Amino acid sequence: MPGSIRASGWGEAMARTIETVAEEIRSPSPGAMLRRRIFGHYGLVFGIAVLTIIVLIALFAPLLTSHDPYTQDLMARMKPPFWMAGHDPDHLLGTDHLGRDYLARLLYGARISLAIGAVAALISGLIGTAMGVAAGYFGGKVDLVVTFLINVRLAMPVVLVALAVVAILGGSLEVVIVVLGLLLWDRFAVVMRSSVMQVRDLEYVNAAKAIGCSVPRIVLSEIMPNVLNNLIVVATLEMAHAILLEAALSFLGLGVQPPTPSWGLMISEGKQMMLFEPWLIAIPGVALFILVLAINLLGDGLRDVTAPENRG
Amino acid sequence: MKTRLLVGSVAAVLAFSGSNALADKANDTLNVAFTKELESVDSYFNSAREGVIFQRSVWDGLLYLNQETGEYEGNLATSWQWVDDTTLELKLREGVKFHNGEEFDADDVVYTVNFVAKPENGVVVQRNVNWMKEAVKVDKYTVRIITNGPFPAAFEYLAGPVSIYPNEYYAEAGPAGMALKPVGTGPYQVESVEPGKHFVLKRYEGYHDSPKGAASIGTVDIRTIPDVNTQLAELFSGGLDFIWGVPADQAEKIAAMGRFTVANESTMRIGYLELDAAGRSGDHPITKAKVRQAIAHAIDRQAIVDSLLKGKSKVVHSACFPTQFGCEQDVTTYDYDPEKAKALLAEAGYPDGFSVDFYAYRDRPYAEAMLSYLAKVGIQANLKYLQYSALRDMRFKGETSMSFQTWGSYSVNDASAITSQFFKHGAEDFARDDEVLAWLNAADTSVDPAVRKENYSEALKKIADQAYWVPLFSYNSNYVFTQDAEFTPTPDEVVRFFQVSWKQ
Amino acid sequence: MLAFALKRLGLAVLVTLTVSLVSFSLLFMSGDPASAIAGENASATDIEAIRTLYGFDRPFLVQYTDWLFSALRGDFGQSYYFKLPVADLIADRLSTTMLLGICGISFALLTAVPLGVAAAVRPNSFIDRLALFLSVMGQAMPSFWFGLVLIVIFSINLGLLPPSGSSSWKNFVMPTVVLGYYAMPAIMRLTRAGMLEVLNADYIRTARAKGASEWRVMFKHALRNAVVPVVSLAAVQMGFMLGGSIVVESIFALHGAGYLAWESIARNDLPTVQALILIFSLFYIVFTFLSDLANAWLDPRIRVG
Repeated sequence: MPGSIRASGWGEAMARTIETVAEEIRSPSPGAMLRRRIFGHYGLVFGIAVLTIIVLIALFAPLLTSHDPYTQDLMARMKPPFWMAGHDPDHLLGTDHLGRDYLARLLYGARISLAIGAVAALISGLIGTAMGVAAGYFGGKVDLVVTFLINVRLAMPVVLVALAVVAILGGSLEVVIVVLGLLLWDRFAVVMRSSVMQVRDLEYVNAAKAIGCSVPRIVLSEIMPNVLNNLIVVATLEMAHAILLEAALSFLGLGVQPPTPSWGLMISEGKQMMLFEPWLIAIPGVALFILVLAINLLGDGLRDVTAPENRG
Repeated sequence: MKTRLLVGSVAAVLAFSGSNALADKANDTLNVAFTKELESVDSYFNSAREGVIFQRSVWDGLLYLNQETGEYEGNLATSWQWVDDTTLELKLREGVKFHNGEEFDADDVVYTVNFVAKPENGVVVQRNVNWMKEAVKVDKYTVRIITNGPFPAAFEYLAGPVSIYPNEYYAEAGPAGMALKPVGTGPYQVESVEPGKHFVLKRYEGYHDSPKGAASIGTVDIRTIPDVNTQLAELFSGGLDFIWGVPADQAEKIAAMGRFTVANESTMRIGYLELDAAGRSGDHPITKAKVRQAIAHAIDRQAIVDSLLKGKSKVVHSACFPTQFGCEQDVTTYDYDPEKAKALLAEAGYPDGFSVDFYAYRDRPYAEAMLSYLAKVGIQANLKYLQYSALRDMRFKGETSMSFQTWGSYSVNDASAITSQFFKHGAEDFARDDEVLAWLNAADTSVDPAVRKENYSEALKKIADQAYWVPLFSYNSNYVFTQDAEFTPTPDEVVRFFQVSWKQ
Repeated sequence: MLAFALKRLGLAVLVTLTVSLVSFSLLFMSGDPASAIAGENASATDIEAIRTLYGFDRPFLVQYTDWLFSALRGDFGQSYYFKLPVADLIADRLSTTMLLGICGISFALLTAVPLGVAAAVRPNSFIDRLALFLSVMGQAMPSFWFGLVLIVIFSINLGLLPPSGSSSWKNFVMPTVVLGYYAMPAIMRLTRAGMLEVLNADYIRTARAKGASEWRVMFKHALRNAVVPVVSLAAVQMGFMLGGSIVVESIFALHGAGYLAWESIARNDLPTVQALILIFSLFYIVFTFLSDLANAWLDPRIRVG
């Protein structure tokens, strides 16, 4: 175990649990192992490549399809995709339950799913990093308060609380993003706290203190660059987490509002016909799986590249 | 990988021939599924469709509405007549026994009616019972029911939601006891209740000579399975014999499989857009009649019926279900005409359309389809999909300017159950039209059918002219069951287990 | 040890109180429960009467302390929907969820720990790769998707397992696998890392040098040390899992506490939702408390502080 179990007392009592979470982040990942064993050195490359492609798709969606993702045609509902009999060459991936082009919805949906992951991770990253850095840098009472808050947050059942809040406020893109952002800051705080603790007493930090640098300056220019790698790793994991949670909320009918084409919503809408038209959930399901896989591989790869001492 | 598995498996499903369905016929057990967790099986303390289905099997009403002839027949009562405008005298059937052996007589009717009619006893659906003031015993087999003012729809309720409970048992057990161990006179008696989860019904061998007819199948086993996919998976793997409320697309596919009987029947539920003509939610374009008419012209209701609802659904034009008494059909209709809709919007001063929040609580695909039609004429409608109770709160407070609502009239075949519910200046009235109110009051309190009809007609014509509502379509329900079973659905959407039988 | 345990307990209580306050205020903000209680056909006056009857017009703190003191006595109020005591309702449903949680975590441990050990002992072997593959899949696959796929294969195609219900052990096989799979990657990853670290430690080399059998080295020396963080993680995951069983319960129609929570949210049944959030939190708090004690006992460095 890392040596951050400090003097006995409240701090120790509280830190025990959350160290487990930090431990999980710092331990070698399956992606790292996979990179070496299956893809050789290409795990990270694969992650970056796939993610880049998805980002490009999201940015240039209008150029990739001539169809509008919102235009419905009730006479052409649930046309099968190209590999099935009876498909319409004009709709490569078929049409959904309202006759909207499935490919167009998938391409435009990449925007929504990425936005949900990125913005939710950004919000939770800001909250969690601020708390974690403060706790790690100042220690003492600040650390006690932050550690306590992390414990409270970890004790709250995320899915249940997210569902309750979204049900109350009514589902919409903004609500889902903000709720996830406000709920997923715990790992940022945990990891930042222990990372900052490891570097705060290093010589150059002490030197900066000695020459009278201000606290924000020390944190931004001396500490942050040294913990950035951990921050990025957590950010990717939480981005993947947020995307999966949105899909789960959508599955339960409380995610993004139609007609916005999010992949989670497409799965939820296709679910109705899953026993008869399984491709309706297979297409967005596979897209979601690849996206989450790519983000995870990217995060794992970054961890290995930036923090070689953490390799198992 | 997953895709291939799923595709392969479905092909296998379609090729699969029913082999294990016989098992349940052999056990004389009909396995069915409820979609919703029933809060209480005491029929006065739930408001769900499942509750009505349970009620019709376990309890009896004083009257019975013959679904084929549309005539009222005696069930627990044998004859009845109005003594005056507010007093109904009924002769009761002799020799009927409750499931627990208690004898049925006037005391049971008096106790039940007096209990449910008291608002403080908290019957959930007050409208089912609050027309009754009290019941009075004349002799052992004669009672009088006194109503709160003239109430022409009384028979409808006596044959429907008003079921008669055993006085001694109910006095002792109360609603809580009745919910755990229900006792009635109906064709099925309750063997076990696991609240919300699982109910087992057994044929009541001592059932009286009722127009409902005795039950045919020995045991009905009801489980709550919320997800329609799980219900279908159970059906395909032989765990269920009978499900209903199957969405149109799935029903079509199942019918094509040929392993199950798929029966479609219309229901009394209609869908409609509720428009805030009175401006309760503030000043917005929808307060203008031309804008409301434009909305009515903008939506291709026939296409939605043909592609999404299918079955026996029909486009409706009047603010009620066509078979309901007083439901005037000769009203202004609004054809699908986007050009006319745009012209009307321009006349109203919105040539570029406008933006509005569109509220809905069920049938998201129908709502989505309507959004798309509205977008075509320039109305940018933002979907707000809420839970029923949350949306109702907002409507009560008058915060919605446009919402997609549905109403099933509790299968009461009378316009008072829908038009009067929504256009008499209550919390759910967004028209607030005094003329309509006067006509409806006249119609609701008269016992002369001609007077009632004429007044409903006036009210409904004005509602259509002003497009206070945009009536959309009637709903239908798909019933899917094993080919071993025989069942004919009825338009009141009540599954009568006692009318299901095994094929010989 | 005692001082540590007492402080840890004090913390647990404090966290519980804070969670209860947060969840109560969260739901308090949700607006008016009176309409939900009144049912589908109530009039505006009915709803007003209910509001006064239930005391929803009282100030927040009064309602909260009232609720808290009742909750301490095990009285969570009446469910608005079922009109039954919430405590009875939850007690009835909790057994299913607990059983599911225990099966799920057991499944996760029974697959993840051996796989993790095997992967650490024989890096690059087939088992190692299988373990990696399973864990990467588990990280990226939504559990509702996995559940639906299992139903299609094992219920519809093969007819081996019932798709829904909770009447026999067969009903729990698929939900267990789906729920357990959710916790497996993290546990496997940690076991493997811990084993790798321990196997390189001096005392293991010493044990090997002294001629102890490989099995003895593995289980007596290595695993015992590697398992310390796994215990904590399993406790954390178990806590998460109970809260996360909502999706699994709704797919397999298991009438457990997770499904009750989801339905209660949909029905605006606040007393039930409040009680469930508190109880799920309590599970997490109790599990992590116990695991911290277990760790303190397993790892003396912690007890002496």
